[in-house]
Amino acid sequence: MSKELNLWLDDLLKDIKIIQFKRKNSRRVRIDIAPEALPALLELLQGRASYVHLSAISCVDWIEENEFELVYHVWSYETNSLVSAHTRISREPGVYLSVYDLYTPAAFFERDIHEMFGVYFEGSPDMEKFILTEWNGPPPMRKDFDSEAFVNQTFNWEEYHPQWLKDIEAEGGGITTRPEDVR
Amino acid sequence: MNELDKIPVRQEISVAQGSVKRSNPLANVFDELVRFCQSRSMFMLHYCTGCGAIELPPAMTSRFDMERLGIQPMVTPRQADILLITGYVSVKTLKRIILTYEQMPAPKYVIGICSCTVNGGMYWQSYATAKVLKEYLPVDIYIAGCMPRPEAVISGLRDLMGDIKSGSASNWKRYFQNYDHYLGNQQKLFDEDWQTPTDIIAEAEHYGLITDQTLGEHTALLQKHQQPLEALEFSLGEKREKIRGENQ
Ligand code: SF4
Repeated sequence: MSKELNLWLDDLLKDIKIIQFKRKNSRRVRIDIAPEALPALLELLQGRASYVHLSAISCVDWIEENEFELVYHVWSYETNSLVSAHTRISREPGVYLSVYDLYTPAAFFERDIHEMFGVYFEGSPDMEKFILTEWNGPPPMRKDFDSEAFVNQTFNWEEYHPQWLKDIEAEGGGITTRPEDVR
Repeated sequence: MNELDKIPVRQEISVAQGSVKRSNPLANVFDELVRFCQSRSMFMLHYCTGCGAIELPPAMTSRFDMERLGIQPMVTPRQADILLITGYVSVKTLKRIILTYEQMPAPKYVIGICSCTVNGGMYWQSYATAKVLKEYLPVDIYIAGCMPRPEAVISGLRDLMGDIKSGSASNWKRYFQNYDHYLGNQQKLFDEDWQTPTDIIAEAEHYGLITDQTLGEHTALLQKHQQPLEALEFSLGEKREKIRGENQ
């Protein structure tokens, strides 16, 4: 039964001109769609095709193209398949529409993406800090945030070859296999 | 009956050693006995921070069985002797670790399990994890490894037992003696208005461990930003309703 439903859905989705449709296997579908049309597609999938479960929204920072890619994963318990709807929004100013009115769990994912990437979702119920409550820097998952430089500037390091280790080595002990020997 | 009178009823050995005048000839024997008992009944706080915690259940249960050494898990910091830090320490977790550590009664011991507590381990590049644990707390023993096997954990704990028995495990005193240094490192990470509910300076006074390193510029900041405790405001879902109303 679910196979048939999938075939019908494929036919229907292939008919829509403005999206790129690709079935990856019997349980996964990839759709690329313009940002203006994405809420409409989700509404269609939820209301007409039983895709009632928003499992995640993920975000990718394509810094060279100056774009954020947002991926909405919706799951149907009828057809047992996952539709991933990919859309790209401009990195500046990085504002997009919330789908909170369609899927309530979106509030959670959008708040997380806002915190990690700085994408602002209009209409989302809460865009305040979420996990990084004590973080004042830039959104850390953006590609232009240099984590390594930040770490070197903020933290001290333990000495790699301290005196006590040298003492042990002088007596013939210490690290038996050095990193250089392995590489 | 006369001999019984000589036996001291109250011992202040483990805490204010040196500052109390010891007139009893049996005191040293008692010291040793108390230390032996301490090393054989360690309560370990169940507060697991990172992935290294996964090696503790096997170390505690029948195969490796820490309990035969007298080490038991304990649920509250007030009744615990050992704080095990089992892995990477994020900045947020570090705050909780410090609050927990300060609530533990002295003498207390900290064990850093895993490479992550030594130098950040494989999270060395992460913006969210604190790197060198001993900058923020005095650590008694590090058990390196990613993650260390239960044998290593137990051997580390046995080392600590040996140190306690011989009286050389006194790193907890350093927290009181050098409070300004530790507090400075904490403030560097958490901002200068960082506060903890435990009054460390008063405790240091109580234990007789105030040195010229206890107070300093950082503890001055502590006092400057101190706020009187207030009851928390109680509200049920109001904020959420308000934001929703604004959006509509
Ligand atoms: S040292 Fe390895 S096992 Fe331990 S907390 Fe770090 S990553 Fe996890």
